[in-house]
Amino acid sequence: MISLASQHGAAEHDLKNTVLILNGPGLGDLGNYNSRLYGRMTLASLASDCQALCDALGLELDFRQTDNQDEMFRWIAKDSEKFDGVIINPIGHSPAMMQMFELYRSAIQMIASLKKPVIEVHITNIYRHVDEVTQPLHEPAGEMGFICGFGKLGYLLAIRALARKFGAARET
Amino acid sequence: MAKKIFVINGPNLNLLGRREPEIYGHESLEDIAVLCRKVGNAHNLLIDFRQSNHEGQIVDWIQEAIGNVDAIVINAAAYTHTSVAIHDALRAYNGYKVELHISNPHLRESFRHTSYVSTAVDAIVAGLGTMAYELVIELVHDVLRNSTKPRSAL
Repeated sequence: MISLASQHGAAEHDLKNTVLILNGPGLGDLGNYNSRLYGRMTLASLASDCQALCDALGLELDFRQTDNQDEMFRWIAKDSEKFDGVIINPIGHSPAMMQMFELYRSAIQMIASLKKPVIEVHITNIYRHVDEVTQPLHEPAGEMGFICGFGKLGYLLAIRALARKFGAARET
Repeated sequence: MAKKIFVINGPNLNLLGRREPEIYGHESLEDIAVLCRKVGNAHNLLIDFRQSNHEGQIVDWIQEAIGNVDAIVINAAAYTHTSVAIHDALRAYNGYKVELHISNPHLRESFRHTSYVSTAVDAIVAGLGTMAYELVIELVHDVLRNSTKPRSAL
């Protein structure tokens, strides 16, 4: 019979916390975005920066992007429960996309109901886009973070926050 | 010369750790200030950490930052949702500006859904708890390190 203490120790030693990063429609084309707003980066460079930080923090990362909203919702609904924390850049929610927004909201609530940390990240400050009606979720969804305007550093901030939440931070 | 950051905290944040800890956590504002200074020391940044319950005082501090401070991290608390004066002061400040909230105002009462601060800052962090302060200081350090922008006066 294995004692509880040794089981616990082994689990702590072997298991890496896992992070899922989901990028919504259009982000695959990041290299062609307005560089004044978005800085000089591509999705590949963003992914490798995120991977490097996760490696340093002892986290396992799955970094994804899709142009297909259905696939995005499928990932949120089906795959997010396999991860310890989720970071999502959903791109815009506009009234014209209200049905999408409802789906997004219910998907996020589903993750939050599992008591898993979710952080919404936007590369730019969405409140300074005058002609874009992006809005954050206005629904009590348990624990949900919100980060915008830091460029790629926002993703790294979100990863550090998740690492702290997992109690797995090994930096400094 | 060491870079200087103002961390400005608004009304009721002096009660942190005692007021609704289920929302705002158990750490006191002084605990957070100590952690921020520690991160600042590690990067040779001067952290000037302040709190006021008075809107005009916060406006004065933002004006004081103009030309003297490299970045402002502001948790305007309830004034976030009411203060055009703080919005205007922030617009007048040209350094790097971050809006910070311990909880996520968008997930709370509808009167917290409008922020007069958000349109006047570079970036926003909300809902990450009290650890956001340290993480943001770390991040502002990265931003300032890569920036050659001088402290500019009006």
